[in-house]
This record gives sequence, C-alpha cells and structure tokens, in this order.
Amino acid sequence: MIEALEAAGFRSARACHFLDSFAGTSKERVARKYQVQGANFMAFK
Amino acid sequence: MAIICPTGFDAARLKRAVHDTYAAVARDPGGDFHFHRGPEYAARQLGYDLAELESLPSVSTAPFAGVGNPFLMGALPKDAAVVDIGAGAGMDCLLAGRRTGPGGSVTGIDMTDEMLDRARAGASEAGLDHVRFEKGDITHLPLETESVDVVISNGVFNLVPDKPALFAEIYRVVKPGGRLQFADITVGVELSESVRNDIDLWTG
Repeated sequence: MIEALEAAGFRSARACHFLDSFAGTSKERVARKYQVQGANFMAFK
Repeated sequence: MAIICPTGFDAARLKRAVHDTYAAVARDPGGDFHFHRGPEYAARQLGYDLAELESLPSVSTAPFAGVGNPFLMGALPKDAAVVDIGAGAGMDCLLAGRRTGPGGSVTGIDMTDEMLDRARAGASEAGLDHVRFEKGDITHLPLETESVDVVISNGVFNLVPDKPALFAEIYRVVKPGGRLQFADITVGVELSESVRNDIDLWTG
C-alpha cells in the first residue's frame, strides 16, 4: 500500500494504527492465518 | 504487504461480487456476513465515539462495514472539501460533514444504489445539506482535478485490483498540499496465487 501510494506521487505515506478488525467474525481464523489487520493510513500530496 | 492482483484475475467478477455483497448489506445490515457491521462494532473495535454515532441516523450507521477509523489521524479542517471513496451508507460522510461545517463540502462516491439510497436518506435526516452522494466508479472519479482537500476511505481500496490506477486517480483530484487519510487492510504473509484468486477472500 505504501509503495503504491508513493509510486502515484504521494509523500510521507505511512500506516498509523493497526486494528483487530476481524476479531469475532466468522473469518477470524482466516484473518489470523494470513495476518490480516485493519490499518489507518495517511499520505500527502 | 498489499494484495497483489494475479495474472488473469477476473476483475469484473470481483466488482460484481463486491457490488452484490454490499447491496445485500444495505438491504439487511443484520444479515449473515463474515465481517462486522454497525456502530457498536465501530466504537468497540475501531475507536469511534459511540455517543456520536448514536446521534446519527441509523439508516447510515447500521450498514457501516469499515475496517478502521480515518478520523484518528487528524482533524478535518473546517470548511474543507472532503471526498469519501466508497462511502457506503455514508456514516463517515456524516461525521466529516459535522467536522467541516456547512462552509465545507463532503462528497461520497459509491457504486451501489442500495447504499446510495441509505446515504442520501441519512444526510437528509441529519440535516447536512453540504453532504452529497454520487454514483461512480472509484477508478474514474466524477470530480474536478485538484478540487479536494482531504480524501477519506474505509475498507475499500483493498477491493480494487488495480492499485496504481486507483491511486493515480486519487492523486489527480487532491489539491497540492491536500491529503489522504484512510483505513484499509494489511496482509502480513505472502499469499499464494490460489488465495489471491479467491473472490470470497477479496470480498471478505
């Protein structure tokens, strides 16, 4: 994600927070297997 | 690590699956889906203010299915022009509209009529006349070049296989000095081609 943002021209792209968005869902096991998390991102033009 | 689209991936099929999934969420937010929905989830797991969400129309908050919180990275400027890409039923747009005030503008873009119906009803019920919604493909935004101060989004970009085209289009509409603050998913392991071709995993 960061690489794709910077390739488009955005600068200072970063992930700011990580969230366990899939805890408690029927896909929680799959999310843990593939280390899937929610994340908040920021980037500037 | 981002999900990288494999060679020969059926992007049109993914787009239909995404549309159908979120149309179903709009019709019945309490239905059987393999992701969370609603304001209680948003407050419990994503850091939203439950009291603020409960003050918004449930027509907009009940189908919320974001994966993060675009408002945690910084306050939206008063009077700003804000765009929400893949706005769904508009919960984040209503929050953005309160933060920009009536001197600003908030435009929610979504491709699903069922979600847009809810979003427009929510903005009307909330009395936020400067919050509007447009149907559109998020890789071809119906927006003027360099017209947006802040782009927000929540759990949508991962559903778009062509990230370079998506981010190039977003870059086009953002003003110099503007910013993108959004939530999405990250994947911590390298995915096999068969996993990356699994439409159910993309839409989940």
